Amino acid sequence: MAIDLNFNEQQQLVQQTANEFFAANCGPSLARRYENSEDPYPRGLWGKMADLGWLGMSFPAEYDGLETTFLDMYALYIEMGRHLVPSPHLETVAICGELVAALGTDAQKRRILPAIGSGDAILSFAFMELDGLYGPEGVTLAAKPRGEGFVLSGTKTLVNYAGSANWLVVAARTGGTDAADGISLFLVDPKAAGVTLERTANMGGYPLHSVTFADVTVGADDVLGPVGGAWKTLDEVMMKAAVLQSAMIQGAGEQVLEITVGYAKDRVQFGEPIGKYQFVQRLVTDVAVEAANLRLLALYAAWKIDSGQPFLREAALAKAAASKAAAAMTFASHEVHAGIGFMNDYDLQLFTTRCKHWEYNLGDARYCLERVMDESEGKLTTFEAAPATREMVQA
Amino acid sequence: MVDFCADDTVELRKWRSEVREFFDSEAPRNFFFDYDYDEDPIRWAEYLKFWRKMGEKKWVALTWPEKYYGLGKSAIEKWVLHEEMINYDIPSYPIIGLAVSGAVLRLGTEEQRMFHLKGIAEVTTLWGEGYTEPQAGSDLASLTTRAHRDGDHWVLNGQKTLGTAAHHAQWMSVLARTDPNSKKHNGLSCFLVPLDTPGISMAPLHNMANGQQNHTFFDNVRVSADCLLGEEGQAWPQVWFGQGGDRLDRGGPAPDGHPFRVIRMLNTIVDYCRTTRRRGVRMADDPVIRLQLAELMSGVEVMKLHVFESYSALSASNGFGGRAARSFISQAFYKEFWPRMAQICMEIVGPMAQLHGGKWAVLDGRVQQYFRASFGNHAGGTSQLKRMSLATRGLGLPR
Repeated sequence: MAIDLNFNEQQQLVQQTANEFFAANCGPSLARRYENSEDPYPRGLWGKMADLGWLGMSFPAEYDGLETTFLDMYALYIEMGRHLVPSPHLETVAICGELVAALGTDAQKRRILPAIGSGDAILSFAFMELDGLYGPEGVTLAAKPRGEGFVLSGTKTLVNYAGSANWLVVAARTGGTDAADGISLFLVDPKAAGVTLERTANMGGYPLHSVTFADVTVGADDVLGPVGGAWKTLDEVMMKAAVLQSAMIQGAGEQVLEITVGYAKDRVQFGEPIGKYQFVQRLVTDVAVEAANLRLLALYAAWKIDSGQPFLREAALAKAAASKAAAAMTFASHEVHAGIGFMNDYDLQLFTTRCKHWEYNLGDARYCLERVMDESEGKLTTFEAAPATREMVQA
Repeated sequence: MVDFCADDTVELRKWRSEVREFFDSEAPRNFFFDYDYDEDPIRWAEYLKFWRKMGEKKWVALTWPEKYYGLGKSAIEKWVLHEEMINYDIPSYPIIGLAVSGAVLRLGTEEQRMFHLKGIAEVTTLWGEGYTEPQAGSDLASLTTRAHRDGDHWVLNGQKTLGTAAHHAQWMSVLARTDPNSKKHNGLSCFLVPLDTPGISMAPLHNMANGQQNHTFFDNVRVSADCLLGEEGQAWPQVWFGQGGDRLDRGGPAPDGHPFRVIRMLNTIVDYCRTTRRRGVRMADDPVIRLQLAELMSGVEVMKLHVFESYSALSASNGFGGRAARSFISQAFYKEFWPRMAQICMEIVGPMAQLHGGKWAVLDGRVQQYFRASFGNHAGGTSQLKRMSLATRGLGLPR
């Protein structure tokens, strides 16, 4: 019985390997090259990530996966954030791959999961609509039954890597008595008739697309999970991915901290390194406090996930803090850097613009704080273990 | 291996139910007592009576070795005890004694341990702190209280101020300069001083949260040589900065009272919002209040996790900074969060929050009391000092 916040050997190995690999193969110059690039991600790097086992790491062994823990993924994501790795890992593996693993038929899993693991398939997640809502009420794209299958009509937006995807995983509404009821998932070929992709310019230079579905036919084989009953699993997978997105912000924040501390030590004004001035120190410590706090919340959520406990509240707390920290850390760093940080040639802006995407992605602070309140309704104490145990003791 | 203490072992569940059983029969009901801010003698007596029962069970010294009146339990068992203290609204143990116990456990002679730890563990001795001086607050190392050796005795002269709870205490931990030619951090020593020694006098200071602090004057106070704790002249590195962070260690890994005060206030305000309707709407359903409450929950969760982190051994993996940096971050955060939280609670309750006493006061005025107390967040060092320490000693920025 000991409280321990440190990674085990396996997770340390993942983190260390990833850190060394990305330091050698990625970094700011690669991030720059793939910003607004026609070629949306480095395929060579993606192949090497497949060779390292990072694309199928969380999948079941029978579909060529490694069945790693969630914390192994978490360790990898810290380093993907630190090194600004341009890759569709979050969309392909952590969201769509996990949805297929959780909801797919055996045939769907055989078709998709090994192909993800080998680096041969990219999947894109088509959830967001024009209202920009992450809750179930945001899903309005209509899927109407026709024959054995469905017909999809409507528009999805902020669909990352859609132009490279072998499949889109589309969240659509097949009916329902309330917001969370009636949501279904579909596997759609982005080249199918009636699908139109428009790449949308955006702050982080990501290959984000708006995808319009004009009476797109989807066969029964491409329905993913229960018709009308996908929300619960979809929500859980998205909130788990939100913890991984938080881990990316953690890694990026640690890198921003390192850059900021280094600059404050080196930059001399008024005859002193500016890091000696306490207004500057205050800003630098803001980065450190934000990074430390979001790390604790994200790690706590990851542990909840791995230990099989309810985790939605903790995941929401983590992503809310990470979203706020993404903005606060880059703000404080810009204040310290001033002119040089404003220049495109300096790396800080790469973190700032990507952090803006990550801040929103899979739940902005407001959405996540609403979730915190929803999840905590009905329990007064912050210690969720207590009431359950109390009942047990009385029994 | 990452483990935040799941309450899923047989031993822990057994321990938790043992704690609950004891609190069910012995904990005072509806007794919201904060030793820092309450001078009522009847309530003090009730408070001490309860904690002496805790002392009899050896739960004050839960994590100390059995030889020193403890039970040798783990940090996680202490955490469970503290969780239940929150659930039962148990007032915290006076913190100075726990701080002294940590230093005595680490640095004390065998005689000092056997004597002082007994009094702290059994709650028969209360401790005051003699650190801050009128001209030595954040810059504590500039203190001028002198101690000089005279045969088998030390003779203390000087003035301490802002001491918490000294007027309730029988003993005081005093920092004094033993090398008259030393400056700053060098040449300071720590003395464990009985407060009934001739030459000690006090004058009360009344703080804005209804608590009493004190000036303590030392006028040729002679204490025996064995009152020195640790090595002569080494108090700064040994006692004050002994664990690599500028906090007094607290008798092994122990959460201090602050996270628990905050959790209690959170539970109080959330409960209030769930049971109070305004404009026909439950306050907990008001969109603005919902976000305010969620922000508070987030901050409180962070404080809880800081405590967990202080329990965990540190390795190079996952996260930046050593023990010192993380301790500064934790302290800076709660010192800034506490008054912010108090203000948000005042805003949530609204104009009626300013009342205290009488039947019209919302929540018996507990919110305004909490707000008043939040300006005591400087105790143990201001948030600015923690930020300065984090910047220089934690992150390596130039001094």
